[in-house]
Amino acid sequence: MPLSSYESLFFWIFGIAAIFAGLLTVMAKNAVHSALFLISSLVSVAALFVLSGAEFIAGVQILVYVGGVMVLFLFVIMLVNVGAEEEGRDEIFNKQRQVTASLIFCFLLVLGVLYAVNKGSSTLIRQNLSPDAVSEQQAARNASLNRSATGTSSITKDTEQIGSLLYRYGSLPFEIASILLLVAIVGSVMLARTLRQEASADDLDPEVLKDESLRDPELIRLESANQE
Amino acid sequence: MVTYLVHGLIFFLQETGSTPQAGMKNAMLEGLKHPDLSKFLVVGALLFIIGVAGVLTRRNIIVIFMSIELILNAANLNFIAMSRYLQQTGSVNALAGQIFAVFVIVVAAAEAAIGLGIVIALYRNKETIWIDEIDLLKW
Repeated sequence: MPLSSYESLFFWIFGIAAIFAGLLTVMAKNAVHSALFLISSLVSVAALFVLSGAEFIAGVQILVYVGGVMVLFLFVIMLVNVGAEEEGRDEIFNKQRQVTASLIFCFLLVLGVLYAVNKGSSTLIRQNLSPDAVSEQQAARNASLNRSATGTSSITKDTEQIGSLLYRYGSLPFEIASILLLVAIVGSVMLARTLRQEASADDLDPEVLKDESLRDPELIRLESANQE
Repeated sequence: MVTYLVHGLIFFLQETGSTPQAGMKNAMLEGLKHPDLSKFLVVGALLFIIGVAGVLTRRNIIVIFMSIELILNAANLNFIAMSRYLQQTGSVNALAGQIFAVFVIVVAAAEAAIGLGIVIALYRNKETIWIDEIDLLKW
């Protein structure tokens, strides 16, 4: 799938941007900066998805990851932020020995990947895949698409194809995924409750209640209000 | 080891399957001009490795979660690149990669929700988000 002309330029720009933003995510001192760099990495990867003809996944990536998951991350960072790391009072990385060991491990992974690319790329199917043939193929496919209202671009069939495939071949995994999401919703609500909320739902261990009510007498009242 | 790394980099930059007599410089220029599947895979692999490094080295549990998102995203990039490659070679199941990417995103969202719920509960009880201070299971 050799890309050509402006597509290859896009690939290098967004590929390098994704890698650098990923690096900065891991190295940034402040967790909020990490989250923002992760957002730019995710957006760059979404651009690579568009480049690969997966417009639907790119849209989902932006909507779900950047619009949903990352906002959740930022909320949690704001809730628990201790602020010690950016003031330099706390170390952001593990101890020296652990960091060295994990960097060696990652270096070995890089070597393995390069070895795999060396070995594997010569076996890629290359028939009819010269850059010119590919761009011709692309142009033919674009010509067969419906034109958009402005006439300057065409409407992709990607979403339609994914939708029909998802319901035709992936309907069972689709349902399982919906159950997974339901479990995640219920689980995160259960996990994030405070002691008072647990007490008023009559869901507190009696011993915990006895210990904690010394600090917060309100708990007993909430618990007994539930009994009636 | 270093020479092997350099060789690997040169090989990465040149166009895959180019004939040796074309000259290394030419081949590398061709590879830069026409990036193909292997370049997508290497970008995905580098993102994956950065994520692994983040998980192994950081102390902040939220940044570790973000590194996990990076890892899942790298897997998605591989799926999509493979899907595009299979579309051009005319495979029947070419779009399966994109379906998998959808499910990876679903699982990532669920994982983030549960994980951050755990972080909040943990912070309420232990007042810390440094993973080396969360050692209740250590004996």
